[in-house]
Amino acid sequence: MPDFFYNTLTPWQWGLLALIPPAIIALYFLKLKRQPLEVPSTYLWKRSIEDMHVNSLWQRLRQNMLLFLQLLLIALAMLALLRPGWESSKLDGERFIFLVDNSASMSATDVEGAKNRLDEAKKLVGGLIDQMDSGMTAMLVSFSDTPQVVQEFTTNRRLLRERLETIEPTVRGTDLKGALELADGLANPSRMPIREGDKEIDITEAQPAAVYIFSDGRFEDVKGFSLGNLKPYYVPIGSLDAKNLAITAFSTRRGEAHPEQRQAFVQVANFTEAAQKATVELQLDGGFLDAKEVTVPANESTGVVFPLADAPAGKLMARLKYELDKSTKQDALEQDDVGYAALNDAKPGRVLVVTPGNVALEVALATKRAGKLANVEIKKPDFLSAADYKRDADSGAYNLVVYDQCAPPTSPRANTLYIGQLPPGSTWRGNAVTNAEKKNANESKKDASDAAKDATNDSAKTEPAPTRAQAPQIINWDLSHPLLASVELANVNLVDSLVLEPPPGATVLIDSTAGPIAAVAPRDAYQDAVLGFEIFGHAADGSVTANTNWPRFLSFPTFCLNAVEYLAGGTEDAQLASTRPGRPVELRTSGNTPELTVIDPAKKEHKVRRTAQDIFQFQNTSDIGVYDVRHGDQVIERFAVNLFDRQESDVRVRPTQGNENSTLRPADIKIGNVDVQATLGQTPSRTEAWKFVLACALFVLILEWYIYNRRVYL
Amino acid sequence: MPATESQLLPPDLMAQLERLELVTRKVFRGRMKGERRSKRKGQSVEFADFRSYVPGDDLRSLDWNLYARLDKLIVKLFLEEEDLHFFTLIDASLSMDFGTPTKLEYAKQLAAALGFVGLIRTDRVRIETLGQSSHHRGPILRGRRGVWRMLDYLNSIEAGETTSLAEGVKNFCLRNAGKGIVVLISDLMDKAGYESALRYLVSQRVDVYVIHILSQEELDPAVKGDLKLVDCEDQDIAEITVSAPLLARYKATLNAFVSGAQEFCNRRGMNYLLANNQTPVKDLIGSYLRRRGLVR
Repeated sequence: MPDFFYNTLTPWQWGLLALIPPAIIALYFLKLKRQPLEVPSTYLWKRSIEDMHVNSLWQRLRQNMLLFLQLLLIALAMLALLRPGWESSKLDGERFIFLVDNSASMSATDVEGAKNRLDEAKKLVGGLIDQMDSGMTAMLVSFSDTPQVVQEFTTNRRLLRERLETIEPTVRGTDLKGALELADGLANPSRMPIREGDKEIDITEAQPAAVYIFSDGRFEDVKGFSLGNLKPYYVPIGSLDAKNLAITAFSTRRGEAHPEQRQAFVQVANFTEAAQKATVELQLDGGFLDAKEVTVPANESTGVVFPLADAPAGKLMARLKYELDKSTKQDALEQDDVGYAALNDAKPGRVLVVTPGNVALEVALATKRAGKLANVEIKKPDFLSAADYKRDADSGAYNLVVYDQCAPPTSPRANTLYIGQLPPGSTWRGNAVTNAEKKNANESKKDASDAAKDATNDSAKTEPAPTRAQAPQIINWDLSHPLLASVELANVNLVDSLVLEPPPGATVLIDSTAGPIAAVAPRDAYQDAVLGFEIFGHAADGSVTANTNWPRFLSFPTFCLNAVEYLAGGTEDAQLASTRPGRPVELRTSGNTPELTVIDPAKKEHKVRRTAQDIFQFQNTSDIGVYDVRHGDQVIERFAVNLFDRQESDVRVRPTQGNENSTLRPADIKIGNVDVQATLGQTPSRTEAWKFVLACALFVLILEWYIYNRRVYL
Repeated sequence: MPATESQLLPPDLMAQLERLELVTRKVFRGRMKGERRSKRKGQSVEFADFRSYVPGDDLRSLDWNLYARLDKLIVKLFLEEEDLHFFTLIDASLSMDFGTPTKLEYAKQLAAALGFVGLIRTDRVRIETLGQSSHHRGPILRGRRGVWRMLDYLNSIEAGETTSLAEGVKNFCLRNAGKGIVVLISDLMDKAGYESALRYLVSQRVDVYVIHILSQEELDPAVKGDLKLVDCEDQDIAEITVSAPLLARYKATLNAFVSGAQEFCNRRGMNYLLANNQTPVKDLIGSYLRRRGLVR
């Protein structure tokens, strides 16, 4: 069958259909039983008919008008069944996987003739589905930051079309690899490699499948993925010169100069080739708060700072208002012109310091700033056995408990900082043998490099467990961690320290020649920070001696402040500043509430229960906006969900790099080692004419009905 | 004048007709003395003219007073009063049995009305049908007394004669050689044509009136769909599919037919009148025929 037609019926169905026209003709002549009517004389009628018989062929045609119309109708119906259409190319293969990008950038409105890019992609996929033969199977996968199987392999084109329509735009990022892995897994579901010696044998023969990727190319090259028998086609959607300005960051933080005052920080990125002027408007709970004009250089971003003074807690929204050059298209993506931030009440944390006596710590926590951040209570270790402690620790009344030279029998429901002690439980106490081995290995490795360094530790104590190291030298510390922000440890010397065995998931804060000596690790909803070395130790005679020279440096109070800020909840704004859509949010509460209510931006209520790990985890962050966390009727917290994704906001289809003289065209994408060429406008699609033919048939039917009823002839 | 309940001649029509009389433009010789002043001179009380005596004239008509005065023989001429032969020829073929009222019914009413006019003026009235055989003739009626017989006879006429128009007229002419007024009431629907029939009448030198009766159904057919038209006379079949152009063509044909007949008649000194069976007989006689000069 030539390309112009597409057979939809089997031969015997055609046979049945072919019987209809003769049947119509037969019926027409059988039916033409003219009603007899007696008239006085046929004299005049005969003469009239004779006159009309002069052009008898035309007359006959007119008399059989209805017959011809019926034949025309059936002919049109047959033509429609042949599905006439034009196609640029033909679908090849038998199995297809359509990967449709529905990430945020696909909501860009820079495509002509479609609502947005996703619409255009759907149109193209629809064209491909229409072109499928009866033997072809296809699968639909939509992907943003997570892939989702919209429809498994099926030959049912109608089902595919229906499911295709259910793909909705999201405000998420793009991850092609996940989608490809999913497609690969589903394409060959029963592939099960059997190892036979060194060879890997697939028990089922891998079936090749064509993968059509409909995307704007706003993702990283896919690394570490082998296409295998997947044959990729990449259909870029969108224009190369789509213009967009976006808010790429929006957060509230304490001012540098006046930490008691909060500031809102908005970052505006310009994804156009020219500098753009824009107005950033700040709204609190829907009311206007402030606005600033900003000029963003081409392809750069600029920050705007709004002083919030003592604005009440609420929902902050930053809206970007701008007009692109009149000649060019309007803003291509609207979703990223808005940023949200939650403004929570600044609650001073409650910090309990349990120490037998630590002047340095007490002084460091007695500063004005620390007082603002937290209410510090200092107790002796015997307080640990008091009923008050038990009650408050179990109910989560403390934000941070600092255990200096002591340890509680069980971990409290609070963030903790252990100084010179390990937390209770086995998580921080690994196997003793491996520990020792590790220690030896560490020491032998570090020996050479450490020789030059100044070692002040002279006395080293070794305890059976936990392992202690004498005079470990600090070789590295994690400056990027908030606990160690602006903390300089270069000339800090230690007498001795515990060598930590941080549990899985922990972050090593300070590394020494002996191994990690400070680390922070999550424990359920809380964090345990452990300093392996004491500040003040007790000598053998019981007198208090300094274990380190750290308190002499400015970095010690800084660390203390960081600890209070980070662990006592002082920086909760920052923690929850911006969650990406679709990511789970951990909610922290004080107290023993079994259930929280989260109200999403669409005012829908979600109940959140404590998970097995004793934390509240909220999953439904698919919409951007500010979410209220309620306990009862009281809003206890807010958090914001934002798309703040430069990749998504830069809606220009990624162009080819280099090669200046060639015309700009969408870049190829790289999957593993394979370059997948952008088939610009080359999607095999088919222009179907059957709808038009059917419309003609309908018109013929109406005409026939009209003529039959009205007896109107030409 | 006795009142009659006849359908053919309702009393109000009778009353209207009593004032009328039949008129002929031609000079006819009546057989009997009638009430009609003839164009011929004859014997009556009404003086007409003088003329010189020629031998052979009735001496009784000499005007002796003039002879005395002028010494010349002058004959006084008087107007002759004579009767009129009035023939009504009704087409009683099956095709006349259509319409409401049927064309035959209408023809009968018309014949009755015209015959009544003739009878009350003591004209010689004879009503015949086309299919009448030469030996079976219609009654000759004269005078008011003949009204009942005329109506009886008319009532006895039934559709179903199969004689063609030409044949019927020919027979009629053979039967009735005399002069007078002939009113032919027919639908002229003869496949052989009406022309030959009318030519027979022309040759009779009678005053001919052709009253062409057509029913409403023929003038404006209300037909629809695919039809098989059956001719009631010869069972001829015409298959038609009614359409706007066909109807237009039919109308054109009808007009051509009517105007053709009219022209044919006018050329030959015959009076033609197209009658629709929906026009009341009263109006037809009172206005149309009066205008045409058949009645006065």
